[in-house]
Amino acid sequence: MTKMRWEIPITIVLLCLGIMLSLQFQAQTRIASDLTLQRSETLIAMVRGLSEKRQKLDLEIIDLRNQLNSQLESSRDEETLLDSINLEMGKLQIVNGTTAVKGTGLTITVEEYMPIIYTDLINIINELWNAGAEAISLNEHRITSHSTISVAEDVFSDSTFNIFMTINHEKLEYPLVIKAIGHPSNLEKGLTLPGGIMDNLALFNAFPEITKLEELEIPAIKKPSTYYFMNEYKPS
Amino acid sequence: MWPILPLLGLIIGVYLGSNFSYQLPPIYIKYMSIAVLASLDSVFGGIKAVLKNTFDGAILLTGFFTNALLAALLAYLGDRLGVDLYYAAIFAFGVRIFQNLASIRHHVITSFRAKRTSARGEKSD
Repeated sequence: MTKMRWEIPITIVLLCLGIMLSLQFQAQTRIASDLTLQRSETLIAMVRGLSEKRQKLDLEIIDLRNQLNSQLESSRDEETLLDSINLEMGKLQIVNGTTAVKGTGLTITVEEYMPIIYTDLINIINELWNAGAEAISLNEHRITSHSTISVAEDVFSDSTFNIFMTINHEKLEYPLVIKAIGHPSNLEKGLTLPGGIMDNLALFNAFPEITKLEELEIPAIKKPSTYYFMNEYKPS
Repeated sequence: MWPILPLLGLIIGVYLGSNFSYQLPPIYIKYMSIAVLASLDSVFGGIKAVLKNTFDGAILLTGFFTNALLAALLAYLGDRLGVDLYYAAIFAFGVRIFQNLASIRHHVITSFRAKRTSARGEKSD
């Protein structure tokens, strides 16, 4: 028991001392890292180091900004290039007939009883091109540089009248409808001028019906053509 | 015979203190250091008393807290009055700590020698 008499107070005292010591230790380490209690030489060195670092970082920021600007510029250039390419592609598609188009124009309807042969159709279409037509279709077949208008004979048919006209090797069904987009009056004048195609056809008693329209649609070509042998050639 | 319970107390105290979320405000650090010094002096005095068999628990406990508080208060008062009592306290407690340590050392050495001679005497008997 005599031993316990001194151990307990000492333990209490040491417990308190331990708490105080560690609190003081923490506070002291905090002070060591506190700027207000540093020596001025250390502070000057620190300020110098930090300002140098800051300058370097500023330079880096300027560098990175320049880089960003140049990147943005180049991407803008690419965008404008892409836009113009898309625009041009759209135009080419319209011209090539790979997209459906619409606009003012006229239709020419030919009924079965009219005595018209395929060369008359070709003449009408040529006349329309001459009159400034921008797109032409025959019975929903877009007329392009690859279109063929011809005649064919059905040898297996029992009917006596087995010759028919074709467009792109498909049989043309009556009524034949030629659609043309362009200035309607110009197109009409091109067809009906004295001594023109309509006068010619009138000699054979054929009077195709011309209808001017505010808006008509012409479909795209059904099978885009592919090129295997054709290459670009620039004479130098 | 090792004083296990007091050592355990010290370790637990350090552990508790390091786990406190409370942080000492910087202006009180100076007074806290004086209080710690006074406490150290009390602890060494207590150990000396134990070794000299003149230990009194009440004196140790009261001495511990009053010394710490008074030292901190005196240092604070000194700051208010423009007298650096802080250094006086450091000096006084420092001297006393070294005196206490010296007498502890003396006592340990003499008791160690006494033990050894008595053990030799027993052996030679």
